[in-house]
Amino acid sequence: MSVIRFIVKRFIISIVTIFLLVTLSFFLLRTLPGNPFQTETLLTVEMQEKMMSYYGLDKPLFEQYLTYMQNLLQGDLGYSIKYRNRTVNEIIATSFPVSADLGLRALAVALPIGLFLGVLSARKRGKLTDYLCVLLSVIGVSIPSFILGSFLQYIFALKLQILPMAQWQTEWHTILPTIALALSLLAILTRVMRASMLEVMSQDYVKTAKAKGLSEGKIVRRHQIRNASIPILTMLGPMVTSVLMGTFVVEKIFALPGLGQHFINSITGLDYTVTLGLTVFFGIFMVFANFLVDIAYGIVDPRIRLMK
Amino acid sequence: MSRSEQFMIENPFERVGATDHANDPIVRPTISFWSDVRRRLIANRVAMFGLICIILILILAIIVPELSSYSYMDQNLSNTNAAPSRDHFFGTDSLGRDLWVRVWVGARVSLAVGIFGSIIPSVIGIVIGGISGYFGGFIDTIIMRAVDIIICIPSMIYVILIMLVFGSGPIPLIIAFALTGWMGAARDVRGLILQLKEREFVLASKLLGASHLSLIFKHLVPNTLGIVVVGMTMSVPGAIFQEAYLSFIGLGISPPIPSWGQLANLGTAVFRIYPYQLLIPALLISITMLSFNLFGDGLRDALDPKLRS
Amino acid sequence: MKETLLEVKQFKFSFDTYAGEVQAVRNISFHVKEGETLAIVGESGSGKSVAVQNVMKLIPSPPGRIIQGQIIYQGEDITHYTDRQMEQLRGKELSMIFQDPMTSLNPTMKIGDQIIEGIRNHEPIPRADAVKKAIKLLTEVGIPDPKDSLSRYPHTFSGGMRQRVMIAIALACNPKILIADEPTTALDVTTQTQILELMNDLKEKHGTSIVMITHDLGVVAKMADRIAVMYAGKIVETGTVEEIFYQPKHPYTWGLLQSIPKVSSKRMGKLETIPGTPPDLIAPPKGCGFASRCKFCMNICKEVEPESVSISASQSAKCWLLDERAPRVEREHEEVKKYS
Repeated sequence: MSVIRFIVKRFIISIVTIFLLVTLSFFLLRTLPGNPFQTETLLTVEMQEKMMSYYGLDKPLFEQYLTYMQNLLQGDLGYSIKYRNRTVNEIIATSFPVSADLGLRALAVALPIGLFLGVLSARKRGKLTDYLCVLLSVIGVSIPSFILGSFLQYIFALKLQILPMAQWQTEWHTILPTIALALSLLAILTRVMRASMLEVMSQDYVKTAKAKGLSEGKIVRRHQIRNASIPILTMLGPMVTSVLMGTFVVEKIFALPGLGQHFINSITGLDYTVTLGLTVFFGIFMVFANFLVDIAYGIVDPRIRLMK
Repeated sequence: MSRSEQFMIENPFERVGATDHANDPIVRPTISFWSDVRRRLIANRVAMFGLICIILILILAIIVPELSSYSYMDQNLSNTNAAPSRDHFFGTDSLGRDLWVRVWVGARVSLAVGIFGSIIPSVIGIVIGGISGYFGGFIDTIIMRAVDIIICIPSMIYVILIMLVFGSGPIPLIIAFALTGWMGAARDVRGLILQLKEREFVLASKLLGASHLSLIFKHLVPNTLGIVVVGMTMSVPGAIFQEAYLSFIGLGISPPIPSWGQLANLGTAVFRIYPYQLLIPALLISITMLSFNLFGDGLRDALDPKLRS
Repeated sequence: MKETLLEVKQFKFSFDTYAGEVQAVRNISFHVKEGETLAIVGESGSGKSVAVQNVMKLIPSPPGRIIQGQIIYQGEDITHYTDRQMEQLRGKELSMIFQDPMTSLNPTMKIGDQIIEGIRNHEPIPRADAVKKAIKLLTEVGIPDPKDSLSRYPHTFSGGMRQRVMIAIALACNPKILIADEPTTALDVTTQTQILELMNDLKEKHGTSIVMITHDLGVVAKMADRIAVMYAGKIVETGTVEEIFYQPKHPYTWGLLQSIPKVSSKRMGKLETIPGTPPDLIAPPKGCGFASRCKFCMNICKEVEPESVSISASQSAKCWLLDERAPRVEREHEEVKKYS
């Protein structure tokens, strides 16, 4: 069956991608000048070397690579050099749920509203509603989430004092970070859905549907929205990425105990093993997300299976 | 049957014959494609507003640091966190540095990163996509497989890795963008070239013995220019955003060189007390991104008739 | 005498564009009787598609706008029917097939669903019955393996097969009138013939009236009972097939007939064309629309619009040459053999 062949093909591409990503990340990060213990002024050169050998960093690079890949196959992403006795797996286990929660909330807000506004805007093309939606979407894509987050914090937490400033405890705490993350997504979705709807609305098959005697509502639901949503599916992969990237900064601003925090801290703290581990984790996560999206796309749009 | 009389036509039934003989008349004077685009673009007020904002910001970025009596590094610890005033239009930061100058020096950095960070990858993309699409076959398969794979990994991860290796600064940033941003343009250009290759005018010049180079650069590339220019314009705000993002997480531009992202980063540290220190760079980032988005939209609409055909 | 099903009277329709009001249809009248095929012929931009799509109100408004006139279906004026009322007619009483079968089917929907959707929209029957009906329809229009085809997507069919599917969709609820907007233009010649034969068979079998839009007189000869020739938003001549092919009265009709390629022609010379282009419908000429391209143009033609002159009970034309004061002119070439 063509569907199965299609899935297998995408799967192989994904595996190759992950392999390349891991290899590249490993060598790039391991060839960085200096060693991770340099910054710790308390350590003598001798002790630094000791640490290096303890972590296996003095072995030939290729041997390290093989060990790393072996561990990775068993799901072991390595350890932190800064925080002794914490593994990357532990860090992920404790903090990824927070990031995922935030990301899913943002998607849950942005997807329905974005799609709705996109459809609305297209159906009211040239009217005031349309202009407002377009305006919202242009502004939305022009405000980076970290700036929006800071201002939401300033207005709602500091000045109005109606929502908590930071942390991730009650539902109230989730509101500002979710909005900060969701707005740009919502804006992009509105934009793409509007363009996609306009495209579909001018298609001949919509006229066919009308000629069948279907009501406007049925045409919009069964033919237009369905087909206009297909390009949205292709966006979901990149969107997962941008949500994840967005969580980094939003977590930083709102001091959320998410994975992004750890990632940024590992970068600024030169904790390369964590950086590597998390990069690999993000990479695998996103490649996998893209894989699922591709499959969904192939299933929804039968033409794609033939094309690729 | 006497309607003709009431119109007072002389010799109403005298035969005069056909007056429109041309089989392919030129209905209106030929306007070149680009002047047509320009006309549509100028008629688009929103896009023009974007363009004017961009030009204004560019001018300020060029002249302000030259004319100001402060430099972006001059510290004045006796006048820290000063509110905007006549001496310091945008106030001063926590080290007493003049924010007006720092913002416009930062504009130079951010705009340079934004503009070169989208032009260079686009050019690389055009070349690779052009080669891939034009020659097809084996070369195309290899390049497109590579693109398929590379494009799967979010570019931000590459950028972060590359920044870690090269260190921070505008040049490494542009290099990182160049290495990670060409795939989209390559795909677009390849797709277009594949379509154009089948068109008659290409076949015609091929039959006339045009060389590969002249075919690519005289016929194919100019026809992809529209889409590429729109893509470039639209990716400028993306590049500005990425710079700001990376500087914000401490990877993009490192002190003392200011950039908007970095100023915003410094601003967030104190914005609870001195909100203007975040507000100013934040507004500039947003206005610039907005302007490029509006202009890009206008440009795309102006080019639309061609994109649709 | 067969009953008149559809009548369009003094119909004017315009599009509001940035450049101005495009008068796409300028006062036309035609009718369709039970079981007959009316062909509307004309070159692109003559307003023929606009004229018939309006019967089903398929043109969104704005930009489209009815200026005047009436559309009467089975004695009832449907000109100002609401959307809800039109939905009752579309697909059930009046159906339509379009020019390009490649784009007229929804690419992401199985063709079975696209047929069943139409059936169940008008007849509240269980899905299983609708499926049976769909299989019957596909068999009727000559799709091989109709049962398996139900779960196939449009892109797996050829153009001709897709047009058959379109016909199946259009005939799903036994409409009284089938409007075919250049149904064979996008198909290759052999497929064209098959589709036309299919349409003729189905017309015989179900007694459906057909309104056929085309610019191909070959198609007309095969299909039509009566012909209306449209030019620049007006019907310039109408009559039975025999009348139009053997005794055409309007110079534009002459031109059309002469531009049919003729294999049997003694002079295997250049293909005849009508020089010039149709007028701009934003500012249509005040006289006859064809005047500027007409070899026989007279002073009056440019100033005053000719009125319709009846030639026979079924034939009429709008041309000043038919005026008794006009000089007698003859068609220059030999009578066109009936083309089929």
